[in-house]
Amino acid sequence: MMPAWLASDWTIPAGLDDFLWTYGHLINSLGINGLLALSMYVVLAVGQLSLGQAAFMGLGAYSSVLMTLTLKLPFYVVLPASCLVPVLFALAVGVPTLRLSGVYLAIATIGLGEVLRALYLNVDVFGGALGINGIPERAQTWMIFGMLILALLGLWLVGRSRIGRAMEAMREDATAAAVMGVNVPGYQLGALVASAVLAGIAGCLSAHQSSFIGPNEYGFEPAVTILSFALLGGIGTPVAPVVGAWILTLLPELLRGFSDLRLVFNGLIIVVAVLFLPHGLLGWRMRRRAA
Amino acid sequence: MLRRTLLATLLIATPVLAQTSAVMAQPIPVGSVEILSGPAAAYGIAIKSGMELALDEVNAKGVLGGRKIALIVEDSAGQKDQGLNAARKLIGRDKVIAIIGPTLSTEMFAIGPVVNERKIPIIGTSTTATGVTAIGDYVFRTSLPESDVLPVTLKAAMARGVKTIALMYANDEAFAKSGFEVMKATADKVGLKIVAIETFGSKDSDFSAQLTKIKALKPDAIGLSALVEPTAGVLLQARQLGFGKETQFIGGNGANSPKLGEIAGPAADGLIVGSPWFIAKKDQVNADFVAAFRARFNKDPDQFAAQSYDALKILAAAIDRAGAADSEKVRDALLKTDYSGVMGAFQFTPGRDPASTSGVVVLTMQGGKFVVLE
Repeated sequence: MMPAWLASDWTIPAGLDDFLWTYGHLINSLGINGLLALSMYVVLAVGQLSLGQAAFMGLGAYSSVLMTLTLKLPFYVVLPASCLVPVLFALAVGVPTLRLSGVYLAIATIGLGEVLRALYLNVDVFGGALGINGIPERAQTWMIFGMLILALLGLWLVGRSRIGRAMEAMREDATAAAVMGVNVPGYQLGALVASAVLAGIAGCLSAHQSSFIGPNEYGFEPAVTILSFALLGGIGTPVAPVVGAWILTLLPELLRGFSDLRLVFNGLIIVVAVLFLPHGLLGWRMRRRAA
Repeated sequence: MLRRTLLATLLIATPVLAQTSAVMAQPIPVGSVEILSGPAAAYGIAIKSGMELALDEVNAKGVLGGRKIALIVEDSAGQKDQGLNAARKLIGRDKVIAIIGPTLSTEMFAIGPVVNERKIPIIGTSTTATGVTAIGDYVFRTSLPESDVLPVTLKAAMARGVKTIALMYANDEAFAKSGFEVMKATADKVGLKIVAIETFGSKDSDFSAQLTKIKALKPDAIGLSALVEPTAGVLLQARQLGFGKETQFIGGNGANSPKLGEIAGPAADGLIVGSPWFIAKKDQVNADFVAAFRARFNKDPDQFAAQSYDALKILAAAIDRAGAADSEKVRDALLKTDYSGVMGAFQFTPGRDPASTSGVVVLTMQGGKFVVLE
C-alpha cells in the first residue's frame, strides 16, 4: 500500500495551505521590501544619499497599473516594462542632481517624490486622492522571490568584480577614487538607474498583489522606511539591507500580541539595534581575492 | 470482534461528543481591523470603544442560545500592508466568521477584495466613499455614504434661501475628494448653481487666494469638503477676509466633529452640516447609549462610536437569526436586517448599503457647539 503522503498527489497539506494564505501578503511583502532595500543599497554603495526610491516605486506602480487596466497588457509584458518610466525619470533627474551630494541630494530627491505625489493628486488618469482600485492580483510569490534572488545574485557578482571595487572606493572617498581613474559620475548615474529599475519592479509587483494603490504610499514616509531598511541591515554586502528589510517588515506582525505596546517595542528594538550596531546588523564587507 | 467494534465506536464517539459540547460553549470569533495607532488613531479608538460597549450588552444575553461573541480587534496603523496582514490573520488563524471595519475607505479597497474572496462578511462602519460596497457580495456598510447625507443638508440650505454655491475641497484626501464629488453631483441635481470650485491641501494654512476669488463671485453659500482641521482653517480665514452671516457655510462629513468648535470658535458659527447621528437625539435608545458610554469611558461618544455600536449589534442579531456561526448564513441574515438603534431605523439595501436616511439630522454651529438646526 502507498503511504498516505504519496497518495495525496503532492497537494499542499491543509494546515500549510492555511498558513500560506494567512501570511501570504506578509511573505510577498518580505520579497518586495527586499527589492526596495536593494534599490537603496545600490545608491548607498556608491556613497550617494539619494532618497528617490519611493518615487521610483510609485512610478513603477502607477505606470504598470495603467498598462494592466487601460492597455490590457499581459503581466509578462507589464513587469519588465514597469521599469521603463522610472529609468527615464532617473536619467532626466540624475544628470542635474548628481552634481549635488550628501544632504543636498537627499533633499532634491525627496522633492522629486513630492512633485510626483502632487501629480498623482491632480491628474485624473491617476485617480487623484482616491487612488486606483480593482487591480487584478497578477504578482505571484515565486515571481517576487525570483526577482529578489536575481537582483541579489546580480549585485553580489557586480560587488565582487572590478566595478564593486570602484564602488567601494567611491563610497570611502569620491575625490580619491576619481584621482585613481574611477569614472565617478558614470558609476553614480549607473547606480541611480539600477536603483530605479529595482524600485520600479518592486512597485509593479506590490501594486499587482493588493488591488489598490494611492498617492500617499509613495511619499516621504515610505522613502524614510526604505532608507531604514539599509541603515538597520548595513550596506557592506547586498544581503545585509535585505535582512534589515525583513526584520522591519516582520517586527510589527510578530509584535501583534503586545497590542497597545506594539509601537513602543518596535521603536525600542530599532533604537537598540542602531545604538549598538552602527554599521548595521551585518556590518562586514564583501570578501575578494587579492588582485 | 463485536467488542472491538464497540471499543472503536466509543473511542471515536468520545472525542466527537466532547467536541460538540465544546463547540456549544465556545465563543464565536468576530474580527475587526481598525486604526489604533498613528495619526488617525482617534477614529479607530472611538470605533473600538463603541464596539466594546455593544459587545458587553450582547454577551450579557449571548447569541445562538447563550454563546458569547469573542471580538478580536487588530491594528492597521492606517497602512495598507498592515491592514491586509491583520485581515488575513483574523481569517486564517482566528477563524473569524465576520469582520467589522476597516476605518478608511481606501483601506477597504485593499482589504475588501481579499475578505470577499474568502466569503466572509465585512461591515464598514466609517467607510463613506463611493464604490465601497461594489467590491463584492460580502461587503456591507452601516455608515451612510455622503451621497445620502448631503442631499438632506443642501435641501436645508436651500430652504434658507441659498441659490448659488462655491465649492472648496482638499484634493489630497480620498475622503475629502469623494465628498466633493458627491457635493458637486448633489448640487447639480437639486438645482444649486455652482459658481466656483477651488482646491487646497489638507496641511495648508493659507487659503486667502481661493477665498478672495470666491468673495468676488458673491455666492450664497460655500460648501467645504475636508477633514476638520483644514475646515476650521478655512472658516477662520474667511472671517478675517470679511465673509459674514450672508454667506452660508456648508460642511461635509469632515466638519461633523466637536473639534470644529474647539479650533475655530465663533468663526464656525452658522455653519451647517448633515450628520447620521447626534449626541442630543432625544429617543430612549440614544439616551441610554450616551449614558452608558459616559459611564464606561468617561467621555462623550462621537458618531464613529455610535456607528460601530450599532454595527456590532446588527451583526450579533444577524448571527442569532442565521442560527449558526456560519459566514454564509450570517451574510444572508445580514441582508434581512431590520433593526432600530442609536442611528434610527436600519435596513440594508440589496446593494448592502444603509436603506434609510431618516436618521440624518442637520446640525448648525452656535457658540462653538453643534445644535439641531430648527
